Parts: sequence; C-alpha cells; structure tokens
Amino acid sequence: MPEEKVDVLIIGSGHSGGMAAKVLTEKGISCLMLNAGPIADVRKDTEVKPAYALPFRGFKQPGILPHVFQSNEFNANTWVDEKEVPYTYDPQRPYNWVRVRLFGGRSLFWSRQSFRLSDYEFKAKSHDGYGDDWPISLADVAPYYSRTEAIFRVQGRADGLPQYPDGNFVPDDSPWSESMQRFIASGKRMGVPVCKARSSLGVDGLASSVNLLLPDAFATGKLRAIPNVVVRELRADKNTGLINEVHFVDRLSRREMSVKARVVVLAAGTLESTRLLLNSKLANSSGVMGHYLIDQVYGPGIVCSVPEARDGKATPELNGGGALIPRFRNINSKEKNFIRGYALNVYSSNGPMDPRNFAAYGEELQNKLDSYNGSGFGTSIMGEVLARYENHVSIDKNVVDAWDIPVLRIDTKYTDNEINMARDAVDTSVAMAEAAGFEVLAKNYDPNPPGYSIHELGTCRMGDNPKTSVLNKWSQSHDIKNLFIVDGSSFVSGGWQNPTISLVALAMRASDYLAEQMRQGNV
Amino acid sequence: MTPLTPDAVAQTQAHFFTDQQMATLRRLSEILMPPLKKYPGATDAGTPEFLDFLIGASPSDRQHLYQSGLDRLDAEARQHFGIAFASVNKQQADQLLRPWLRTWMTDHPPTEQYAYFINIAHSDIRTATINSQPWSEVATASGKRTPDVGLYWFPVDPDLHREAPSPLHQPARTKQHS
Repeated sequence: MPEEKVDVLIIGSGHSGGMAAKVLTEKGISCLMLNAGPIADVRKDTEVKPAYALPFRGFKQPGILPHVFQSNEFNANTWVDEKEVPYTYDPQRPYNWVRVRLFGGRSLFWSRQSFRLSDYEFKAKSHDGYGDDWPISLADVAPYYSRTEAIFRVQGRADGLPQYPDGNFVPDDSPWSESMQRFIASGKRMGVPVCKARSSLGVDGLASSVNLLLPDAFATGKLRAIPNVVVRELRADKNTGLINEVHFVDRLSRREMSVKARVVVLAAGTLESTRLLLNSKLANSSGVMGHYLIDQVYGPGIVCSVPEARDGKATPELNGGGALIPRFRNINSKEKNFIRGYALNVYSSNGPMDPRNFAAYGEELQNKLDSYNGSGFGTSIMGEVLARYENHVSIDKNVVDAWDIPVLRIDTKYTDNEINMARDAVDTSVAMAEAAGFEVLAKNYDPNPPGYSIHELGTCRMGDNPKTSVLNKWSQSHDIKNLFIVDGSSFVSGGWQNPTISLVALAMRASDYLAEQMRQGNV
Repeated sequence: MTPLTPDAVAQTQAHFFTDQQMATLRRLSEILMPPLKKYPGATDAGTPEFLDFLIGASPSDRQHLYQSGLDRLDAEARQHFGIAFASVNKQQADQLLRPWLRTWMTDHPPTEQYAYFINIAHSDIRTATINSQPWSEVATASGKRTPDVGLYWFPVDPDLHREAPSPLHQPARTKQHS
C-alpha cells in the first residue's frame, strides 16, 4: 500500500474527538480517526440477564477493577482493564483512573449533566487571587456553548445566576414536587439557590459521540476511522519541529505501524493525551506538562426521608424529581476555611430505600424498608478541586502496559480546601433538610478518592504565556503548531461543573480555528 | 432450550472457611436475613456457601476481613454466653450484633475494622440472597419486577494476548462442610 499523508489525524473517538471530526469534515477537511478500542454494538455485545445468572451473582469478579467503584458484574467488560493498562501511584495516595476505550469512549456512559462554566471559573484568579485565569472568558466560549447545547439538546431552565450561566435549552417546565418545594423554601431562608438541573437529552436515549457527532462526520465522506489501534508515539520532523508521524500498534495482532499526518488533534482523554506526549517527549518546553491535575470532589452527601411520604403515602406530587444547587459559596462573601465552591445534586425518589440507611436487620429492617418506601431524599457534592502544580502525572519507566508502552504515575492528593468544602456541603445539606422537616438517615463527610468523579482535567493547560502553559487559547500547542489537544487536558481550573459540555464546546472552538488556520495555510 | 443455572438444582461445595467459620457464617446469615413473607432467607438461597466461594476467590484483605470477623464473632459468643455463635438464639445474637450496626452510604462503610466486617457482611448477605434464583422466582410469581435484572456486557473483541485473570483461589479440597 502506498504510504499516504492524512490531512488531520484525530486520536480518540469520544466527545472531543467526535466534535473535532464533525467540525473539520463539515468544513471539507479529510480526517483519519484512530481509537484504541473496538466498536461496541449493543445488539450483539449485550444481553439482559438476571444477577443470579452471572458467575458472581452480580458481585464484581473479585480482584478486578479495584479502582473503578462504578463497575459491577454487568458492566465490567466496558471499562479499561487495569491489568492491561496499569498505572502507578503512592499507595498512601490512591487515584481512581476510570477509562473506557470502546469506540466513543466515556461518551457512551456519561451522566449527561450539562452546565456551562462561568467567569467564576474562567476568571477565578481575578475573583479570589488563587491560581491562574484562563486566557479566555465565558463570552469567548458562549457561542460554542450555544451550538453544542443545541446538538446535545440540553434541557434546562433559565435562572439568571452568574455562577450558573443560562444556555440554549430545551425548556424544562416540569413541576416541583412538594418535598422539593419545601427544600427550596429552606434554601431561600439560608441564601442557597435550588434550581432545576440541566441535562443533555441527546437523541433516542443516547448523548454520545457515536450518535450525535460522528454520524455527521461520516456523512461528509471525509472521515475514516480505525478502531483497535493503540498509539505509541508521536514523532516530529527534526528540521521543522512539526509532528509528521504517528506510530501505533494493532491492539489485537501487535503489528507495529505508522501513518504520516499534516496535523494531529489529540482527543484521547486528559491523561492518555498527556501520557502520549510525555512518552513522545514533545511539546513541553514550559515544563508544566503533567502538572496541575484537577478533578472534582465526589462522595460527601446525605440521605434523608420525607416523613409525609412514608407508609404508603408516597406520590410523585409529594416526593420525586431532582434539583441542582449551583455554587453559592465565595460568590458575594468569603468563607473562612475554603475558597471556590461546590454544587449539590439533589434527588428524591418514590422507589425503595437503601437498607444501609438503617441500623437494623431481619424483620425489623424489612419493616423499616416497607414503611420508608417512597420517601427518599438526598444530596451529594460536586466540589471544585484547586489546581496545584504538585498534583501531577509523570511516566513510570519501570512499568509498561500490554503493548509495552510506559505507563503513567499519578501523584495527587486533596488538601484542606477540599476537605473543608466537603464538610460545609454536608452540614449545609443537613441544615436545609432538617429545616424542611426531613429525617436525616445517613451522612458522609469523606471524599471518594481523587479521580472517582471521572472528571480528570488539566496537565496540558492553556494560557497566554508559553513558559507557564502547554497550549494557547485555541488549544494549540505553543511549541508545535500542527498539534492541537481538544480534550479536558487544556483546562486551567475545573469548577464544580461536569466538564463534558465545556470540553465539547472548546473542541468545537479549537476545530473552527484549526480549519481556518489550515485554509490560510498557517498550519 | 431454556438452560438452567446450576443453583436451580445444585449446592455449592464450600471449601474456604473452616468448619467453625462456616457454622458462624450460616448462623449469621440466618439471623441477618431470615425468610420473610414469602421470600427465602439467606440459607434457603445458598448464601453462606456462595459467600464461601466468593470470599475464597477474593484478594487476601477481603479474606482476612471475613476470617477474622467470623472468628471474633464466635469468640464473643463463647465469652458472653459460653456457646459457639452457631448455637446462639436470636436475643443473644442481637446483643452481639446490634452495637456494631451502622448507617452508611455507598463507598463509605464504617472504618473501624469490626464494624466494617459486620456491616459489609450484612450487605453481602443481603445482596447474595436478593440476587439468588429462589428470590427472583418469588418476586416474579408475586408480579414484582425481578430484582437486579440488568444489561450484561460481554467482552468486546477481547485481546488475543490478554493475560487470564488470576486463577481463583483453590483452597485444599479436604475441607468439605456439612
């Protein structure tokens, strides 16, 4: 086969790679997409089964996926096997790196929560003096948010809060249940806004790269995709300094291959993109690549019961539905022991209660479960993690994955800011719930390990100064003009918001810019 | 052909726990999850034997948690009542268990080791029972949604060179519990 040089090589098929493919191909640019894993087909790769028919009755197979708390026996085969693609860390500082390499990546399974970043995130340093501002503001990204929200069909309600920017929504006119109204009233008395959440409806039950973005790209005839290839290294031309070759290995056969490319768009996911560049020893004149690893605090929260909904009295009008409390701390006032803020997911349910909410067993427990059925109400935190230089990833030269590619070592920990924020979230939740007349059954102050949120961000952050950032404000490498990184690795701060809609909007913006630069012959 | 699952007709052979630990686990299962209404209890669902298999296949820290927890439970019964835990009545069992019951949330069980064992064992006993075929059959007959039916993902294009998972722990087959 004659060796060809592709116009744009996109590494990764998730939300950000999918958006890059859609934008670039719709502008007439030919793209080749590489993905490390296979294409999944729900029709042939899944089956509805009862837990008793599984080898371990629904318990995870012992010893596998110890860091993927979200895994169970039903979904175990969707996650990256930690033995195939290991990573290392200090045992005193565990990290949960949760990955999917199926075509479409984690976009196949995400939670759909869709919140814009505000200028409390984009210009966080200007607000409180910590860290760095992004080189862009909400105004720069707003047009891309609007276009992305239309594609994803984000449902929401305008609230007019600067920390919870309104967007291009499918209207959410759903009513509040009575329990939610009581909780909202509690919040009002305490200065805590309780709002409708915002969520991507997608199409036909899916809001993934594979159904919202890639079909449009394929329809142009300009996208080709290769699954089951693991990229090993990028190589740059010694004379020009530009990337010109991508080396990869066939996942199944282990055959080593390479392809030439005019432009490379990295969209492998924050840590895989950074891992690839660190292994390739490229694009790091600043020395900050790998640093400022961010994610979000998850885990702390409360579980309650709405007394009026017990003993068979639960109705959807009385108890049900969800809400979102956007960041309200450190907006117009300063907290004593933490900066930035957190959001709270609020949920209520007409369904069964969790038996772990009761210190009981046997018939007593069953009686409680019967009585409390339908009365569940709870909150859980999504908290900002500060970007710190010392939270970083590096290459562990002593360990390789199943394809002999050196793995990542992850060094990160939460500090007092995150711990104090979590405590405030739980205490505030308890106060609001009790003021609303709910019974608090259980509470948890302890964050889940870093990484649990599956919102890892940073490590190739953008900035105006090439000495302190890896990318410019267009997600383009400062060092290598034909390299763009469009996934979450470009983030300067993480906020509390699920990053998906933001990284997709940024990928759209970067791809628009790239297309124009290619049209002008600058790249 | 409608294939049976082995649990429909067969018993699990328990090999991992000692005789004493197995007897303790059986009594613990009876106490924590007895038959209620029409639903089978933990022993009817083969839960103790299933947990012997599951824990026997688990990493060493999980094995140690159960072994030391069951040993302590039995030791406390002997200390307080002069009998094995396998022989305690409901009131005696309650005295030994209730002080350790906690409320907790997903991924955050009690941190104190013995409370951790009691509460995790309770959760495991419940899960193994509710996810059993006898439980499912009662739920179906009652017109209720079969608990924990889910979408199972098969391995997708598994790697040809994939290292097989570590062999499940195979304890000495000399242990066969009655």
